[in-house]
Amino acid sequence: MKKPFYLFVASLVAILVLAGCVSDQNVSSSDSEGENNESGEDEKLTIAVVPKLVGIPYFNASEQGAIDAGEELGVEVIYKGPTEADAAQQVKVIEDLISQDVDVIAVAPNDPASLTPVLKKAKEEGIHVMDWDTPADKEVVELSVHQIDDEQYGRHVTDLLVENMGKEEGKIGLLTGGLSAANLNAWIEGAKMQAKEEYPGLEFVIDKIATDEKQQVAYQKTLNLIKSYPELEGIMAFSTPAPLGAAQAVQEQGMQDDISVVGTALPTDSKPFLDDGSLDVATLWEPDKLGFLTVYLAKQLAEGNEIEDGMEVPNIGEVEVWDDNKTVIMGPPTDFTKENAGDYDF
Amino acid sequence: MKSLSKESILGLVTLGVIILMSMIAPGFLDLGNIYNMMFQLPEFGLLTLGMMVIIITGGIDLSITYVAALSGVIMAIMISSGVFLPFAILVGVLVALACGSLNGFIVSKIGVSPILVTLGTMVLFEGVILSITKGTSISGFPAAYNLIGNGYIGGVVPLSIIIFAAFAILTAVLLNKTEWGRQVYMLGSNPVATLFSGVNNSRVLMKVYLYGALLAAVAAIIMTSRYNSAKVDLGSSYLLQSVAAAVLGGTEIQGGYGKVIGTIYAVIIFQVLSNGLNLLGVDSSLVTVIMGAILIFVLTLNFATHTFRNKKQVAGQA
Repeated sequence: MKKPFYLFVASLVAILVLAGCVSDQNVSSSDSEGENNESGEDEKLTIAVVPKLVGIPYFNASEQGAIDAGEELGVEVIYKGPTEADAAQQVKVIEDLISQDVDVIAVAPNDPASLTPVLKKAKEEGIHVMDWDTPADKEVVELSVHQIDDEQYGRHVTDLLVENMGKEEGKIGLLTGGLSAANLNAWIEGAKMQAKEEYPGLEFVIDKIATDEKQQVAYQKTLNLIKSYPELEGIMAFSTPAPLGAAQAVQEQGMQDDISVVGTALPTDSKPFLDDGSLDVATLWEPDKLGFLTVYLAKQLAEGNEIEDGMEVPNIGEVEVWDDNKTVIMGPPTDFTKENAGDYDF
Repeated sequence: MKSLSKESILGLVTLGVIILMSMIAPGFLDLGNIYNMMFQLPEFGLLTLGMMVIIITGGIDLSITYVAALSGVIMAIMISSGVFLPFAILVGVLVALACGSLNGFIVSKIGVSPILVTLGTMVLFEGVILSITKGTSISGFPAAYNLIGNGYIGGVVPLSIIIFAAFAILTAVLLNKTEWGRQVYMLGSNPVATLFSGVNNSRVLMKVYLYGALLAAVAAIIMTSRYNSAKVDLGSSYLLQSVAAAVLGGTEIQGGYGKVIGTIYAVIIFQVLSNGLNLLGVDSSLVTVIMGAILIFVLTLNFATHTFRNKKQVAGQA
């Protein structure tokens, strides 16, 4: 066992010596940039839209919107994302898009910090960088598309819950997709703020409960919650699978009239639960519109057009632009109830 | 007729895939894209090597990416709060080794089956990371640290691929040239016979899990530096991929066989395929389907040649 040990030490030393001559630039980076700028001048604009992951209803709906926008606006849209919501996978997808020499990359980050280096690299290659759905590093992106004003949205969820409980006090529980999701946390903050300021009688029985973005987990946790707090009167659930799991538990326990559930879910998924009242109301923006808006704004960005507050976007309506000239808010959420949930196809 | 070994077949497959992709995928051979792949490969390669060594003993380590994440998170916390860099890295490696020794202890001394032990420790480490980070990601490292995953040596070769190459060579030497390495293979093919040959099985196993954890820690260093952050699910998508790549590389899942070169070929195949298919604009879910199909194809091919050869041997003896 002595020999390999020396070998190990020797290789470590070698690494340390080599580390002395490490730089963040490769010799050839300057000329490869020149090539990139030449190509694609007279071709169609190529806009890459990167979701957090592919293959879930929410991001499928936004894909549809993005692709429709591509057809309508005459740009090529590449909609590509990781198959798992893992930051490492997402970085790879973006790196490969840089190799494909696209004009704009719009990304919905799984972990904003982890994308900073690769987005910087994209910018160095002359690619426009923006985020959508979830904000990335503010310093890097040129444009940030938000579906909603996070705080207002959170407040709206609390209002909905109170409205459906029919009273302004009572014990309530709160489910979330994951403890680290920045957008969910911002909504929860808004929801709690609203409860504190407007409805001091509302009592959160326990801190937010993580459900791993899974309906099954949300269902289990809700069962536990109902068991531990039999006097529970309301549940607010954030992230799209959580309200479904919560409603499923309420439905199974036959407590539709005792516990009000509101949350952020897609209408088609929610419909069965909305129908029997286990889910009272779901509220969300329309993800296909978000995909459309992202591509629309990406095109504006690539063409160097100004983006201003109150500008009219086809299919979307007026959008709000913040003073930083970077943040765009799509508009207020849509509430899905028993009556209208059937009208949507996502 | 001299027949080709598993590894040589795989080498030819690798070559074929590379040639195919350079013909059909636009921009595959661009310098930028080649660098791109060289930066993507090391973290996955290191985890796969770690997984391979453990699989050779007939075990599996389902906690490997969480060992990496835990050590990455600890390093990230220390580095972002300004602790001396080499010291922070050392602590990170020690944390990984502690995780490895926990796995090793339960597997080797208590004798619980590795898949159960590491399933348990996977959840355990995940919980520990969650309670440390509260699920948030930790970022904000000095530029010097980011060079490990993003820097070039002499402006030409990515540092991370050199680190990977160094550990690949180290693993090959350890497995083939040392007493421990031979014992790892023996233990994998027949633990009882190995024990009766006077080998201290549990000591060998312990070192296997420690070595796997060491590789996980190195992968963690590269990942945290490359992604500029550490988080509970850091590299979690590599978990089953690393098992798949190790097995594709010819490692016997029952243990007893597995070569570094085969594993490297397998990692390259995965890398080239995913990159090439991305460049071709193939849908991500279809990429996964194609990867799965190729995995099954190569495994079937290996199995078929193996049984064919065995039959021939039997026929030759008769």
